[in-house]
Amino acid sequence: MTAKRFFCITGLVWLASVTALQAQDAAPLDSDAVFADAQSLEVDEAQARAEFRSLDEDVQSLKKEVLDLNRDLFLLEEELLFPANSQVAFFISMDVGEYFDLDSVNLKIDGKEVANYLYTQREVDALLRGGVHRVHMENLKVGDHELVAVFTGEGPHVRDYRRGATISIGKGIGAKYVELEITDRVRKQQPEFVIQEWE
Amino acid sequence: MKGLKTYLLGAALSIFAATSLASSSLVGQAAPDFVLKSSSGENMRLSEHRGDVVMINFWATWCGPCRQEMPLLDDLYSRYQRVGFTLLGVNIDDDSRRAMQMIEELGVNFPVLFDERKEVSQLYEVEAMPVTVLVDREGNVRHVHHGYKPGYEENYLTEIRSLLRE
Repeated sequence: MTAKRFFCITGLVWLASVTALQAQDAAPLDSDAVFADAQSLEVDEAQARAEFRSLDEDVQSLKKEVLDLNRDLFLLEEELLFPANSQVAFFISMDVGEYFDLDSVNLKIDGKEVANYLYTQREVDALLRGGVHRVHMENLKVGDHELVAVFTGEGPHVRDYRRGATISIGKGIGAKYVELEITDRVRKQQPEFVIQEWE
Repeated sequence: MKGLKTYLLGAALSIFAATSLASSSLVGQAAPDFVLKSSSGENMRLSEHRGDVVMINFWATWCGPCRQEMPLLDDLYSRYQRVGFTLLGVNIDDDSRRAMQMIEELGVNFPVLFDERKEVSQLYEVEAMPVTVLVDREGNVRHVHHGYKPGYEENYLTEIRSLLRE
């Protein structure tokens, strides 16, 4: 082997070893960075998850509050408009109807007109078949109130018929239901108008 | 002077437009239900005619175009009644006896209802006479016509036929 060749090979070997040494030194630095990056990513993810969870909880609790409020408002509205303890409802019902063909009903409470309902033939048929019509609903204070019901229609012998009935309603605590019934009184060959309270 | 005329014309047009819009706002809405006494003595409720095409014509005895229009409406009623068309004439006179007299003079056959309290005409935002409202089979207002001029009945015919075909 010539000296020249010896020195070339030695140089190459020396170069290779220096390069290997440098690579060894560099390797530990990259893996540290990767590890640190990975760690910080995990931390970020955990933080994001925690934030999301707390946001989600906030939204859920807001939703629940809104639903609760909605329910409370609905109940309040009902209580304000038709408080159960001052509610009074009036119903019309009819019996056989041989002596009276109903045309209209007019209701007055304490002198004030509160309802004036015209009945079509279909509605009268429904009443004759046993239907009951809620003609009016109102709130009344506790105490005595006068109800005047005027029934207009066709009476016996196809003559116009107009008849009134009066009742004093004693309103206490609690809802009240009043039925205005039109029945046939065969003995007198006349219709009869009965106002009664449901227990 | 010219400016004043223009101003007055503009004001008149805008009032007319506003009143037209008042009833026209019902188009597309459910026709407000009502019950009135009819010329035959029966009580008639609009919702009981659901399933028919219904024309509601608001009129008064003091209204000249109403007098002109009614016989033509009666023709429409006679022609299409048997295929699901109903015409309800709503009279708004204070005294229904004058309306009954006019019905007999004109010889109309369609039901005439009496709105002496003007409650129904208020529901339908009627501010001028006559007003003709067309309601489809599902109870929705589809057309509203204000006033009457000869030739309007052609539009009614087209609209009625179109609604009957639905």
